[in-house]
Amino acid sequence: MSASTPLLQVSGLHVAYGKIAALHGIDMEVAAGEIVALIGANGAGKSTTLRTISGLLKPSRGSITWDGREIAGMDAERIVAAGIAHCPEERHIWPAMTVRENLMLGGYLCTSRAQVEQRMEQAFQRFPRLRERDRQMAGTLSGGEQQMLAIARALMSEPRLLILDEPSLGLSPKMADEVFDVVREINARGVTVLVVEQNVHNALDIASRAYVVETGVISTHADAASLLENPEVLSAYLG
Amino acid sequence: MDMLLQFVANGLVSGSFYALSALGLTLIFGLMRVVNFAHGEFYMLGGVLGWFVTTYLGLNFFVGLVVVVVAMAAFGWLVDRFLIERVRDQGEEPSILLTIGLSIFLTNSALLVVGTAPLNIAGAVPNAPVFLGPVVLTQMRLFAVAACAVLILAAYLLIRHTRLGRAMRATFQDPMAARLAGIKTAYVYASTFALGTVLAASSGMLLGSIYSVQVSGGGLISLKAFVVVILGGMGSFAGAIVGGLILGLAEALWGGYVSSGTVDVIGFLIVILTLIFKPYGLFSTQVERA
Repeated sequence: MSASTPLLQVSGLHVAYGKIAALHGIDMEVAAGEIVALIGANGAGKSTTLRTISGLLKPSRGSITWDGREIAGMDAERIVAAGIAHCPEERHIWPAMTVRENLMLGGYLCTSRAQVEQRMEQAFQRFPRLRERDRQMAGTLSGGEQQMLAIARALMSEPRLLILDEPSLGLSPKMADEVFDVVREINARGVTVLVVEQNVHNALDIASRAYVVETGVISTHADAASLLENPEVLSAYLG
Repeated sequence: MDMLLQFVANGLVSGSFYALSALGLTLIFGLMRVVNFAHGEFYMLGGVLGWFVTTYLGLNFFVGLVVVVVAMAAFGWLVDRFLIERVRDQGEEPSILLTIGLSIFLTNSALLVVGTAPLNIAGAVPNAPVFLGPVVLTQMRLFAVAACAVLILAAYLLIRHTRLGRAMRATFQDPMAARLAGIKTAYVYASTFALGTVLAASSGMLLGSIYSVQVSGGGLISLKAFVVVILGGMGSFAGAIVGGLILGLAEALWGGYVSSGTVDVIGFLIVILTLIFKPYGLFSTQVERA
């Protein structure tokens, strides 16, 4: 379905938590430069899929190919180094560290101090509010600022694929719009985006394509625009 | 009044060793959440190794201290990678049982090798008295206190201002986020355990140069380090230092004015009072650590 050779290809992905199977053979692909959304009900397996791609979970079966290279089961640290950054659900910033320290650690794999400073400057240009609060403890930021910090921190590794898990969770509609504007801008600069989002309208609004996950498998896959007109999707996820 | 000043001075000297030793435990127990009952044995091993390299190998005290630091760092690293790693994230009981077993093994192995006799470490400086007004200390004690201060400062700078230190703090606040930033958390855990081991062992060698090294004394040292960590607040750097000094002062004053034979009681009294009135310790908050 994607227009070019996929940058990320997931085939027959099975994941289990102990004896409980969470994914039963996920198949999906993401081409370079796309924004792809994963939508579905709570517990369908969206976040599990993302966590497996970024190496936090080990698959029991299946394949994840990144730029032609098999990465299924690889450690998260190596996957970050390969160019995939994961901005997890609930942000997971380091609350007792300053904004600057959070960003510095986002560029942990970059050994050049000058390069880290340069990336941090780019982050501050993109998120001016973070510059104003760079010496502030991250835990004292507002929800929207924390989300911006989480995205800025993920971008410090200069990823080719940015994985976003529920970026608008807990944010006001205005703040969520700001976050999605930033996601569009990041994508316009060449970063491929894979997003899981509870607000299906927002997800389908920014994505070019979307996969619908139901009980651990992909049930539907289509252009975002056509999914917005799909009565089943509308009734299931848009109310 | 002169006696009081002397007790206070003695208390501050012992307190600085307690602080250094407890700093190692606060990293391992307070941050890594490993209830390390072998901490006193790491302290003891530092003393025994210090005695061995200065007495048997004839090394200068400073060179010997460097050897102890390097050897105990490697030892701590291996303990974490091969033992602690197996019980990580499995709750506190497995690490308690594991480290109790390790402490028994280390104590008995050391008893087998060096015996029960106290071991004396030749000091770095002469044991000549130094008169500070009415207070008398020895050059060796002043040197050991200064060495403690330098080691504490070095540990602080490492944790606050280096790449490894930032990775440590990040890992203990949120290991998943640390992994997603590319931090090898297994390496960070082992480095932290090694640092905690080195702080305990350095304290053991320094104190062994003032008093002597007792192979069977590790258990009491562990308990005192736990007292300091609970008093200061788990994972708190400042708490370990202030807690160590408070314990040292309390023991010196109790020993001087109440009963020198029951001096170890005061530590447990402090723990009970801390848990009743300030259960998170003097310096610990739920968010800010190390």
